[in-house]
Amino acid sequence: MTRKIQVNRVARVEGYGGIQVEIADGRVKDVKMNILEGARFLEGLVGGRRFDEVPDIICRICAICSAVHKLTAIQAMEDALGVQVSERTALLRELLVQGGNIESHALHIYCLALPDFAGVASVIELNSTHPDTVAEGLRIKKLGNQIQETVGGRAIHPENAVIGGFGRLPVADDIKRLRDGMAQGLDDVQALLPFVRGLEMPDYREGSSVYVALRNGDKDFSFYGDRIVCSDGAEYPLSGYKELTNEFVVPHSNAKHSRHNGKPFVVGALARLTLNGDRLGGAARRAIDALGLVLPTTNILYNNHAQVVELVWALERGRDICERLLEMGLEQEKPVEVKARAGVGTGAIEAPRGTLYHQYELDEEGRVVKADVVTPTAQNLSAFEHDMRAMVESNQGDDDATLRLKVEMVVRAYDPCISCSVH
Amino acid sequence: MAKPRIGIYGLTGCAGDQLAILNCEDELLDIVNAVDLRSFSMASSSNPEGEIDVAFVEGAVCQQRDLDELKEIRSRSKLLIAIGTCAVWGGVAAARNDIDREKLKEKVYGPSGSFLESLPVKPLGEHVKVDLAISGCPIEKEELINSVASLLRGDLPLLVSFPVCTSCKMHEYECLLVKRGQLCLGPITRAGCEARCPGLNRVCRGCRGPVDEPNAASEVALLKERGFDRRDIINALATFAAPAEKLAEQIVGKEPACQSAQDASQAEKE
Repeated sequence: MTRKIQVNRVARVEGYGGIQVEIADGRVKDVKMNILEGARFLEGLVGGRRFDEVPDIICRICAICSAVHKLTAIQAMEDALGVQVSERTALLRELLVQGGNIESHALHIYCLALPDFAGVASVIELNSTHPDTVAEGLRIKKLGNQIQETVGGRAIHPENAVIGGFGRLPVADDIKRLRDGMAQGLDDVQALLPFVRGLEMPDYREGSSVYVALRNGDKDFSFYGDRIVCSDGAEYPLSGYKELTNEFVVPHSNAKHSRHNGKPFVVGALARLTLNGDRLGGAARRAIDALGLVLPTTNILYNNHAQVVELVWALERGRDICERLLEMGLEQEKPVEVKARAGVGTGAIEAPRGTLYHQYELDEEGRVVKADVVTPTAQNLSAFEHDMRAMVESNQGDDDATLRLKVEMVVRAYDPCISCSVH
Repeated sequence: MAKPRIGIYGLTGCAGDQLAILNCEDELLDIVNAVDLRSFSMASSSNPEGEIDVAFVEGAVCQQRDLDELKEIRSRSKLLIAIGTCAVWGGVAAARNDIDREKLKEKVYGPSGSFLESLPVKPLGEHVKVDLAISGCPIEKEELINSVASLLRGDLPLLVSFPVCTSCKMHEYECLLVKRGQLCLGPITRAGCEARCPGLNRVCRGCRGPVDEPNAASEVALLKERGFDRRDIINALATFAAPAEKLAEQIVGKEPACQSAQDASQAEKE
C-alpha cells in the first residue's frame, strides 16, 4: 500500500517550496523538498559589472538576509582588492549584522514558528491567544529593523554599507537610542524563555548530526570567523569553502544541494551553538539553562530554541558594540579609497540561517569574471530531506494531517530562505 | 460594509515587498483587522483564497510557474496591484534579458541544470492587466500604508510622480552628479524615497524605476560629457531593468547598435 504526504506550498517560510513524501509497505520510499522558486541566475548577471556595483545588486538575492548578503559581498571584494577598514567600520558592520539577525530571528520565532506550537495559523491569530508575547516579539523585530535603518540606511537592502566603509556614519544619539532599545529587547525576550521551554517538541530518531559553522579565534562566539569548522573534525580556511559544500544539482530543486563526505550537514543557529556554544557567557548562557536546551541534539526542532539563545546573545552583543562605539566616538570618516585590480576574493559571514559564502574573481579593471554564492538554505536542503525522512519513519502511526504538520515543522525549524537558496 | 478581501502574493524575487508589509510592526495588526486577509502564505498557513477584491503581487515572471500563478490570481481579483520594482519593471533579474536563458542556465548550473525552466524576466504588466503599480526596491512603508488607506476609502492612491532629483534638492543635499561628477540616476528615477541614497553620499541607482517620460537622452548626454564609460552608463540604466531596452535605444540612436555590456566591450576591443 502506498501512502503519500504532499504539501504544494509550505506556508510561513520565505519563498516557494513544496514537500513530497512517499511511503510504500511501511517503508519511506521517497522524500523530496521541491524548490520551485524561479532561478534569477544572479551570479551570471553580475558578470562584467564593476566591483563597486556588485554588493548593491547581489544583496537583492534576499530581503530578510540582505544586510548579511551585502556585507559578505563587500568582504569578498575587499579580500580581492586588498582593502583594510577601520575598527569603527568593522564594529558598525557587526552591528548591522546583528540588526539583520535580530529582525530575522524575531520574525522566525514569533511570527513563523510559534504559531505551530500554539495551534494557530499565523501571528495574527497568535495575537488573540498570546497578545503580550506578540507585542514583545514585534517590538524586538522592530528594533532589528531600526538597527538596520540607523546603520545601513534602510531596513531592507541597506544602502549605506559600501566597500571601504559607510556612506555616512550614524551619530552618537542614534547609537544611544539603539543601545537603550537593546536593553528593552533583553527585557522583552525574557518572557519567551519559559514559554519556549514549555513547548512540546515532536521527536524523531537519527536526524542529521553533522554541524558546520564559522569559528573565530580561540574564545569568541561570533558571526564572523577565521575558519570553517565541522563537527566531523574537518576544518577549512574560508577560501576553501567549496571543499565543504561540494554543490550539485538535483532535478527536483531549483536550488543546488550540498554534502560533505557524502553526508548531509546542518548550518544555522543550532550548528553554531553545538560547535561554539561553550564560548557563550552572560545572558545567553543563562538562556540556554532557562530553556533546558541540551546539546548536542539531532532534533532540528531545537533550532528554534537555538535561535532564541542567539536572539538573547545578539541583543547583548549589540548593546556592547554600541557602548564601544560611543567610547570610540563617531566622527565621520570617508570610505577607504579602492583601486581596481585583478584578483579573487572570498567573503564568509554567519547569516541568520547559517554560513553564507560569496566569492568573486575580478579582472584588471575590477570587473567580475566569475561570481559564486553559496547560501545557508541551499547547504541545508539535503539535511531537510534526511530529517523529514527520519520524522516520517519515527511517526508512521500518525494520521496524514498530523504527519504533514510534523514534516512542515521540520522544514520551518530550519527557517528556510528559499529565494536565497535558488538566487 | 464587508471588509475588502485581500491576497498578498510573491512570484520570483527576494520577498522584500512582503517583508516590507511584515515590517509595519506598529500598523500590521490594525491593517489586518481592517481587511479580510484571504492569502498571505509567507505569514499564514490558512489561505482560503477564492474571489478577492485586491491582490498585491510582488516579484517578476521568471518561469512558466510564475506566469500560471499570475494569471490564476488575476482571474479572481478585482484589482491587481504590482508591488516592488521586480513586479513593476522587472528588477535586477531582468537586467540581462539580452543573454540567452540557456546560456545563463549552463553558466550557473552546468549541464545537469537542463531541467530548469526559465523565461526572459518580465514585469507583471507585460503579461496581465495591472491596476496600480507601487514601485521600490523594496516598496516604501509610507507609500504602502497610504495606498492601503486610500483603497480602504475606495480610492486609488496618488503616488509620487516627480524624480529623486527634486526630492534631493528639497533636502538640500549636494548634487552628486553635477558637483561631484558621479553616475547618479536621480534625474530620471521616480521619487518617494526621500532621496535616501544621496543623503548617505551614495548615488541613486534607480531602484524605484523611472519617472513617467524620463529624459534619459539628456541624462546620458550629461554622463557622456563627464567621461563615463559607455558600458557603465548602460549597466547603470539596466540595473533595475527600468525600461532598459528603450533607454538603451535612446543612447545608441545615432550610433551603431550596442545592446549590452558584453557587446559594448567587444565593440571597444574591435
